[in-house]
Amino acid sequence: MPASPSQHNSTLAISPLVANRTYDTLRSTPNQPLFPSPLAANASAESPSSGNFNRSSLGNGGARSANTSDNSINNLSQAEKLRLWRHDALMQHHYKTAEYIGDKVLSLTNDPNDAFWLAQVLYSNGNYYRARQLLSKNNLDSSSVSCRYLSALCLMKLEKFDEALDIVGETNPFKSEAQHVKNLDGGIKLEASLCFIRGQIYARLNNLERAKDCFKEAILVDVKCFEAFDEMIRNNMLTPLEEWELLSLLDFQDADENGDLIKALYTTRINKYVNGDKFEDAELKLNEEYNLGENNDVLLSKADLLFMQCKFQKSLEICEKILNKDEFNFATLPTYLSCLHEIGGKNKLFYTAHRLAAHYPKHSISWLAIGIYYLSINRITEARKFFLKSSLLDPNFGQAWIGFAHTFAAEGEHEQAISAYSTASRFFPGTHLPNLFLGMQYLQMSNLILAEEYLLSSYSICTMDPLLLNELGVIYYHKNHLESAENYFTQALSVAKKIDSDSKAWQSIHANLGHVYRRLNLFPRALYCFEKVLRINNNDSNIYSAIGLIHLKLGDFNKSIENLHHALSINNNDPVAKDLMRRALEENGLSSEENHISSNGSIFFKRSNELLQLNSNTLNYQKNNVTPLFNRQKNIINNNSNTLNQSIEQRATDLINGDDSSDDDDAIMEIESE
Amino acid sequence: MNEINQLRSHLRSSISTLSSLKLYQAAKWSAEALNGMKIDDDEESDVDLIQDEETTPIPTIYQIRLNSKDHDQFELAKTYFDCKEFDRCYTILKNSTNSNCIFLKLYSLLISGDLKREQESEGALGSNDLNSSNKSIPIILKEIESLFNKDKSYKKNPFINYLYGITLLKQKSTSLAQDALITSLKQFPFNWSCWLELIHSISNIDEALNIFQNLESFFHQSFPNSTKFSELIMIKLGKLNCLQEFFQQTPELYNQLNELLEIFPIFSFIKIQKALISYHALEYTECELIFDDILTNDPLRLDDMDLYSNILYVMQKRSKLSYLAQLACSIDKFRPETCCIVANYYSLKFEHEKAIMYYRRALVLNRNCLSAWTLMGHEFVELKNTHAAIESYRRAVDTNQKDFKAWYGLGQAYEILDMHLYSLYYYQKACYLKPLDSRIWQALGNCYDKLSKFKDSIKCYKKSLFLNNNSEISKDVTILFRIAKIFENLNELSNCYEFMKQVLNEELENNQKNDLTSQARLWLAKYEQNLGNWENAYFYAMDMNSGTSQEIEEAKMIAREAKNKMNGITR
Repeated sequence: MPASPSQHNSTLAISPLVANRTYDTLRSTPNQPLFPSPLAANASAESPSSGNFNRSSLGNGGARSANTSDNSINNLSQAEKLRLWRHDALMQHHYKTAEYIGDKVLSLTNDPNDAFWLAQVLYSNGNYYRARQLLSKNNLDSSSVSCRYLSALCLMKLEKFDEALDIVGETNPFKSEAQHVKNLDGGIKLEASLCFIRGQIYARLNNLERAKDCFKEAILVDVKCFEAFDEMIRNNMLTPLEEWELLSLLDFQDADENGDLIKALYTTRINKYVNGDKFEDAELKLNEEYNLGENNDVLLSKADLLFMQCKFQKSLEICEKILNKDEFNFATLPTYLSCLHEIGGKNKLFYTAHRLAAHYPKHSISWLAIGIYYLSINRITEARKFFLKSSLLDPNFGQAWIGFAHTFAAEGEHEQAISAYSTASRFFPGTHLPNLFLGMQYLQMSNLILAEEYLLSSYSICTMDPLLLNELGVIYYHKNHLESAENYFTQALSVAKKIDSDSKAWQSIHANLGHVYRRLNLFPRALYCFEKVLRINNNDSNIYSAIGLIHLKLGDFNKSIENLHHALSINNNDPVAKDLMRRALEENGLSSEENHISSNGSIFFKRSNELLQLNSNTLNYQKNNVTPLFNRQKNIINNNSNTLNQSIEQRATDLINGDDSSDDDDAIMEIESE
Repeated sequence: MNEINQLRSHLRSSISTLSSLKLYQAAKWSAEALNGMKIDDDEESDVDLIQDEETTPIPTIYQIRLNSKDHDQFELAKTYFDCKEFDRCYTILKNSTNSNCIFLKLYSLLISGDLKREQESEGALGSNDLNSSNKSIPIILKEIESLFNKDKSYKKNPFINYLYGITLLKQKSTSLAQDALITSLKQFPFNWSCWLELIHSISNIDEALNIFQNLESFFHQSFPNSTKFSELIMIKLGKLNCLQEFFQQTPELYNQLNELLEIFPIFSFIKIQKALISYHALEYTECELIFDDILTNDPLRLDDMDLYSNILYVMQKRSKLSYLAQLACSIDKFRPETCCIVANYYSLKFEHEKAIMYYRRALVLNRNCLSAWTLMGHEFVELKNTHAAIESYRRAVDTNQKDFKAWYGLGQAYEILDMHLYSLYYYQKACYLKPLDSRIWQALGNCYDKLSKFKDSIKCYKKSLFLNNNSEISKDVTILFRIAKIFENLNELSNCYEFMKQVLNEELENNQKNDLTSQARLWLAKYEQNLGNWENAYFYAMDMNSGTSQEIEEAKMIAREAKNKMNGITR
């Protein structure tokens, strides 16, 4: 029987694998190396290093043979030779051979280790049920940790989550003893793996809170358990601060001399909301000390960062660099696809989606790519179909859910969008985006209370997303708290400036800030803001109407008319602009003689007073019409396909995207980037 | 003489600078200017040019400097540009840091954006026309702004400033754009395109005078006396063009014109300015002569010939216009100028649809073709398609705010639609631009009348009368009659009487009878009848022999009654 768990820190301990590993290298390298790799040469040259591995192997003898030298192969017993055969067959994926021989060894020796290895063979071959049977028949899974792990794996594959949970236990049984015993063989501690699989089971059982704790435990037990770390980070299970806290708790001693390297790698992996300087330090270190600057994962984290800062072009370039080396790097693809959507690279999206579908027809990302493509050519129904397909293939695929929700949002189906976003937000408790989108949906439904709640909870996760800040500003604008609205808009602007994002993203913030100033009667400032908007985009009639209104209030009819004129030339059915134009022209008719011919001062002032009174009506009228934030409802209906002539109102909500149809992928991408 | 030589060498150097930066039109203008200068007998014209350049120290003028790596790349980009592969040109220069390379890069981006927009919009007034915009502009603006923030030295490149100015102008940030263009001109005054853009952006004459004042004082201050001559000449040329566009007729302008003609005796540009000035002064014959002269000296010239065709149109010289149209077509069918000329020709033949087609073609070839928008508007008015007319007038004033005809046209179109508030505003605009045009004042008066603002209306009519002193009479009569009518409405009969009398006086003086004068006569007769001044009433009613039969009948009645009364009194 294998020894107690504290002795068996990893599968290496009980495996003939250890021996065979060295044996493999010994056998394959000296005469006909597969690859001219320096590592292999070392391994063959220095037998002490291989000796290390064998130190703890309990061995059925097979190990002993390998650690001495290669001619010792002849000294092996019959069973040991068979074991070598079995193992080699397994390594070369001759599963039938391995099974056949493994069975014979087991019958010969009746050794539980051989049973374990037979189970391994069966597992590799996809015979989960048989493997599970084998393990439980000999009662192995109650006595050996590695067997328990393997049978839990089998049950996972068989989707019998409750049974699996019974086997691994609801909590970590080795909590007290194993925590900080250093693993001497350099492998991953089995305790960590058990914690990880427990976490996975909980995740599949939809108990994300427990799953998170288990993953955390796993990575704390052994920092080398990357999968647990990846699972947490990829799915945004932790809030940004929690992530950093976790990182600081990790014990990188386990990775020996690689501790620093691993730490730097992990640092680049986690979120970029906070501690930007540490991130840069880590990146620099990887680049300079380890020369990993060109490694895919390091590049990817850089691309993600750029993506989060809305520098899509640069992010795209890096993604392409990665994909040149590794055509279907699944970690990179979501970011890549989102970048393409953002930039409008429909053609490349099309091609990528096609290639993905051809090579990975059963992978959720292929269908995500197709969905994004349809979204970017504005065919919402098709897009929805493919997002749905993607999420069916992998129910935990949050991006697909968000894309799915976006298709509803784009068509103004708020209820459905909200339920889809809620699903997404369950998968990603650590990112602010689903809550943000929920808030946006409620805002569009004019449910200010819920909207505020969601947006504030989103704000508690991330305080520096200009889109979020803008939304908050919009809420306060609606609630008539103009000072707070101004505050949020200015914050949004300064953030946008800091991350130096695309100037397009700024225009809605400027426009909204302009409206706030207008309502606060700070006309010169408002004009300044609108001016800025016009420099980015001069094709928005609402901005011109707003400028016209301000000039009207200032009593400058000529300028007012001029701007309204622009507004009407862009959209000659704009009712607000038309109404304002009529007023301005009336004013002009009344006072022009005094104004521009004889410039009789007193009458002019009398006029402007009357004008202000008149404008209070206009203003009220305005409130219901021109201002960015009202009658969104109407706009949604008008622009239900999220097309080009979105008005300020909606743009206010979509703002960061600048490009109107893009808030969708914005979501996808940002989620990716976390 | 030294100054003249200096001007020459400056122009020479500007040609090479401009053409290597692909500012073709500006380079062409400079070259024409250089060749339009007086051939100087004193100067040994066979002196070798190179030698000449060496001896005269050159000048404080901007020149392109590149290091060898930049140079090769720049040359490659230039060839791409020449082959009209603008995006390629942009890409090859993408990472360049030299300011001239950056200019060429962004300039080609701008052009490629324009081309793409043109393809998207399916032609001027096409279905997508309003939705399409040049997508490169925000990118260019952002890049230039970040360049300026990063490194002040980029601000010293006149061409980047120029590009910044024109993109801002497209985004309608006029004042910032003007600043950028002025900066560019201060750094390099020989870029004629920049002058044109600047003049374009100016919307009233005060602004214009300020800007030129500013430029002049800048050059006076920052250059020693000897070297600023050519810069000042450029300012004068710019100012001449600008004042011409504002319809100025001051003696100062004529002086300047003559002065420049001394320096550039055979420079077509100045001749055209002269022609246009006389056109604005309504001296059509003079204007025609100048254009004829230009054509004889440069028979294949198409630039500005659309203006000539406008003049011929106004003069109703059909055969000459037809000749010009044929000539233009034989030179190049696909120039916006040619299309305008042909369109004018069709318009004169009352083939308005064809005319519109050609204007459209001109606009496809050059969206900013100024006169085409306005003229197309006129054609639509002829076809009674008021809404289309409004649309094209609008576009006209969008591209050129100084076009009073378009503003006036807008006013008229809205008048047809009975939207007098609108037309009032547009007439006012036109009036700002040409305050001395009696037609506009008359239209304004009419507008106020319709809006029941009688006092204002009378003011405008009087102003119109005052300005109209020396042209045709019939109009005067109309105005006088309108004023009289308004006074009648206001019940100010004594004033009304005054003006009715004036109407009649016009008839008596010029011996021209028409409906209005007879109506006035009838009114006067009635007026006197009511007052009981039978002699006067008889006098007015007696000569009443035109007008509707009813009116004549009425007049006869009055005359009879007056006669009876008079007889009664005397008896």
